[in-house]
Formats: sequence, structure tokens, C-alpha cells
Amino acid sequence: MSSTYGVVAVTLVSLATLGIGAFGLRISRTTSDFYVASRSISPTLNASAIGGEYLSAASFLGTAGLVLAYGADVLWYPIGWTTGYLLLLVFVAAPLRRSGAYTIPDFALQRLGSAAVRLAASLLVVGVGWLYLLPQFQGAGLVLHTVTGAPRWLGVALVAAIVVLNVVAGGMRSITLVQAFQYWLKLTALLVPLFFLVAAWTGDGRPAPAAGTGWFEPFGAPDAQGLYVVYSVMIATFLGTMGLPHVVVRFYTNPDGRAARRTTVIVLVLLGTFYLLPTLYGVLGRIYAPDLVGTDRADTVVLALPARVLEGAGADVLTALLTAGAFAAFLSTSSGLTMSIAGVLGQEVRRVPPLGRRLGGVAALRVSAVACVLVPVVLALVAEPIPVATSVVFAFALAASTFCPLLVLGIWWRGLTAPGAMAGLLAGGLTAGAATVVTIAASPEGWIGTLLGQPAAWSVPIGFVTTIGVSLATRRHVPPDVTRTMVRLHTPERAALSR
Amino acid sequence: MTPDDVPRHATRVRITSPQTGATPASRVRRTVRQEIDESTGVGEVYVRTIVRAQLRAALAVLLTVVLTIGLLPLLFLWSDELAGADLLGVPIAWAILGFGVYVGLVLLGWVYVRHAERLESDFVALVEPDDESS
Repeated sequence: MSSTYGVVAVTLVSLATLGIGAFGLRISRTTSDFYVASRSISPTLNASAIGGEYLSAASFLGTAGLVLAYGADVLWYPIGWTTGYLLLLVFVAAPLRRSGAYTIPDFALQRLGSAAVRLAASLLVVGVGWLYLLPQFQGAGLVLHTVTGAPRWLGVALVAAIVVLNVVAGGMRSITLVQAFQYWLKLTALLVPLFFLVAAWTGDGRPAPAAGTGWFEPFGAPDAQGLYVVYSVMIATFLGTMGLPHVVVRFYTNPDGRAARRTTVIVLVLLGTFYLLPTLYGVLGRIYAPDLVGTDRADTVVLALPARVLEGAGADVLTALLTAGAFAAFLSTSSGLTMSIAGVLGQEVRRVPPLGRRLGGVAALRVSAVACVLVPVVLALVAEPIPVATSVVFAFALAASTFCPLLVLGIWWRGLTAPGAMAGLLAGGLTAGAATVVTIAASPEGWIGTLLGQPAAWSVPIGFVTTIGVSLATRRHVPPDVTRTMVRLHTPERAALSR
Repeated sequence: MTPDDVPRHATRVRITSPQTGATPASRVRRTVRQEIDESTGVGEVYVRTIVRAQLRAALAVLLTVVLTIGLLPLLFLWSDELAGADLLGVPIAWAILGFGVYVGLVLLGWVYVRHAERLESDFVALVEPDDESS
């Protein structure tokens, strides 16, 4: 395959991203513009932006790669990533918007009045963000290497540089426009080649995928471990979505709680539409590219298909389009993540005397953005590549074990106390974090390996039970203004109560 | 007992609330908004009511998800026929997991938002009975 088309595609997406970012720079002036786009974004635009930001490399490439390798077993992943938004809608969306806080640490501070809990939440935001950024950068290296033959570090460096430039230049307003653009780019990039691929497949007489019955059935190996993994993935993705830093920060850009809800329903439509496609790529891959199964190139099946199925310049153009979509996925998710971690870190940095206090809000954000990107870039360059779709599950498990209890209990339960929240963040964070580190460092086998590789099924209950238990034991620490907080979180803005 | 034994008009007693008989000056009706803003016991009840109603709606959605998507793995595990069955040439498991679930999720989200917004409209009507615009 000619690498020229691929280079052109990557260049165009990068330029478009930077160009829209520069347009945002013209209209983003104040700190509020930088952080939350002054909260003036319509549900449709915001939903496109959320979709653009959320559909990462794991969705664009990883899902098809997993379907190729494992078949129906892995359809639970995209289902979980979508259901996570439904639960976010019903438990978190409107109250979180009404809380008026920028980030989860801000929410913790407002709800509980504890600077210690805020700091713990900030550190966790950075941890979850890095876990999620790492596979994005690794995937970028893999894609650029596959398409153009460039060394892997170049893709990592390119994505990191564009992300930092964008965040430093425009902040949230430009990110919103970039993200919305990238949702539609990603959808088009998967949809258009699919028409040609399916047409060619029909022309070939619709061959069936060559695979054992296990690949076709939702449980290839129906044993206790397989069942545990499915339910653990469900718990991690259902409950982790609401705690991902780049997801939550998006809700502050809605004008009010009602718009936050409507935005989320549109997001469900956009995600549902998108997730129909990678599965089809995985199935076609099983027919035309079965040799990728079991290699580290399974994640590139989406990019490999046009050249396997079609011929000539048409295949090159379609590959270029898919490459553009994949790059959009890296750029959008990493931009959103970097923006949200930098937002949190920026606020913490400004509290550090003596240097931090002299920084303006925007300057602190810019310094933090660079710092936030450097660590995962270094990790992506030195660490062994792991399949993107499985590695993001650790980020989901960590978020589900820590931020899900904090948000859900903070919003719906008056009894939550600062010591309870702190204990829950520590317990959930340490268990899910330790499982992640052990799995990546030692990759144990058997039941231990399964339990540590998919920690959510036990670490999320630990997070909830600890938070509730310690809160009940420290009842006198229930914030005195909890009634006022409940009024602010749960009554519609139209009711014009004092909040 | 015949109607003649009980001279109705003679024995009728007027039962009134103390407020109705009071002078207009003391008839200041406290609004729901005041009750809530001043965190009185009554205001607290109003807030708890809307929070509980919204929580019930959220839990209903969660329960629906658990009883549908949550039971699918067990269903496929126990019923080989279902896991192997075809729908228009597509294995039914793929049709459900790759398509049907997403339609269900969107519908569930839409129904929930309508319900949640109705709860809020009722609450606004309670707090601001005069405000016709909302």
C-alpha cells in the first residue's frame, strides 16, 4: 500500500484539528472560556463533542480488533461503554451540572467542604487520566507505523504535540469545536469504507467467517472465569463512565441541568449509531484478515481491510480515510483528557505557594497541560504495548471504584461525610490501582490473574461499602449545609430557589 | 328516625378553620419557595419528596438494565438454542448484542428524561403556582 495517502490523511486531520483550535483561540478570552467554554454550548453541539471525545482508539480500532480475535464474547465492551452513559444520565448528569462545580475535586469540595478529599480526588483524576492516555499514545504510534512505516515514537510524539498545542492555545472552547468535528469525522471514516467493503463481500458470494462455533457464541468458553470477566467488565464500564475525568467535565459546559439530560440522550443515540460499525469490521476481518488474530496487529484490522478486500487507488483512499478517523480518535480523546486533567492540576498548582500563587489561571492550565502529557508519553515509549481495548478497562475500573461512589452517594445520600469519602477513595483507589500495577508488571495467570485483570467486580463494592461504612461511623461530620446542597443539586433552575 | 324528629337547620353547627374566621391581615400565606429557602420542616419535606422521586426514577432505570442486559450473559450461557439461533441469517446473539441493545438503551434514556422533566415541571408548578410561563 502506498504510504503517501496515509501521510496526507494524518497531515490533514492534524491541520484541521489545529485550524479549528486556532479559530477557538480567537473567541476564547477569559478563564471561564478556557475551562468550560463559558457554559454556553447547545445540547446537539455538546453531544457531538462528547461523542467525539469519548470514542477513543479503543472504540475505533480496539473493538474491531477484539471482535476479530474473540468474536461475540467482546460485544459486551461497546455495550458497557454506552450503558455507562445511561447510568450517568440517570444518576449524575443533571445534579452534577446544577452543583456548578468544574470538576470532580470541585464537587467534592463543595459537597463535603474538605480540602483533603479535594486533593485526593485531584490525584485520582490525574491517575485515571494517565491510565487512559497511555493506550491512546501507544495506539497512535502503532497506527502511524502500520500506515506509513514511520517509527512508533513518531506517532506518539505527533499526537502529544498537537494535543498540547491545542490545549495551550484554545482551551475548552476550541476543544469543544474540535471534538464535535471529530465525532462526525470518525463516523464518516468508518461508514463510507464499510459500504464498499460490504459490496465487495456481497460480490464474493457472502462468505461466512472461518471460525469455530465458540467465536460465534457469546461464551466461547462457558466457564466461571469467563462469566466473571463479562460481569466485571459490565460493572467497570457501566459505573466507570461517570467517573472519567474527560466525561464529567463536559457536563459543566451545558447551560443547565435540563440541557445536561437532553445532551446525554443525544449522546446515547450517537454512541449507539457508532458502535454498530466496529463489530462489522471485526466480522469482515475474520473473513479477509484471519492471519492478524493473535498478533499485536489485531488492533489494526480496521486499517488493513480495504487493501485486503479491494484493489487499486480506491483501497488506498479508503485506508487513508480510516487512518484519518483513527487519528481523529487519538487526538480527540487525548485532547479532552489532557484538558480535563490539566484543568484539575492547574487549580491545584495555583494553591501551591509561593510559585503557584503567582500564576494566572490560564498560565497554570498551560503549564499543567505540558506536565500531564509528558508522563504518559514517556510511559508509552518505554512500556510494552497492550491491546488498547483491554488497557482502557483499568481506567474504567479505577474510576468506577473511586469516583462512582463519591458522585452517586454525594448526590443522593445526605449521610456522606468527608472521612467516609476519603476512606472510599483510598480503599477503591488502592485496590483497583494495585490490581492494575500487578497485572501490568507481573501478569499472573489463573483465577488470580482473572481477578486482578478485571478488578471492578470486587473493587467497586469495596469502594461503596467503605464509603458508606465510614460515613455511618462518622455521622457527626455530616456537613451542616447538606439540605442547602440538596436543594441546589436537585431542584430545577427555573424554580429560582436560593441555591 | 323520621325527618320530623331532627330539625336539621336548628342543629347544624358551623365548623370553620381558625384561619377562615381570622382577619385578612393575618392571612399571609407562606409560599413553598419561602418554606424551602428558609429551610423549615415543611420546606425540607418538599425537597426530600423531589429527591426521592428522582432517585426512584433512576433506580427504576438501573433495575431495568440489570434485569435485561444484566441477565443476557446467563441467558446465553443456559440456553444453547438461543445462543445458536438465527434471525434473518444473522446469529440472534449478534443481532441482540450488536444492535438490539443500543435501541433499548436509547429508548430507556428517552423515557427517563421525559419522566424526570415531568417531575421537575410538577415541582416548579408547586413552588411558583403563579408563573404560567414555566
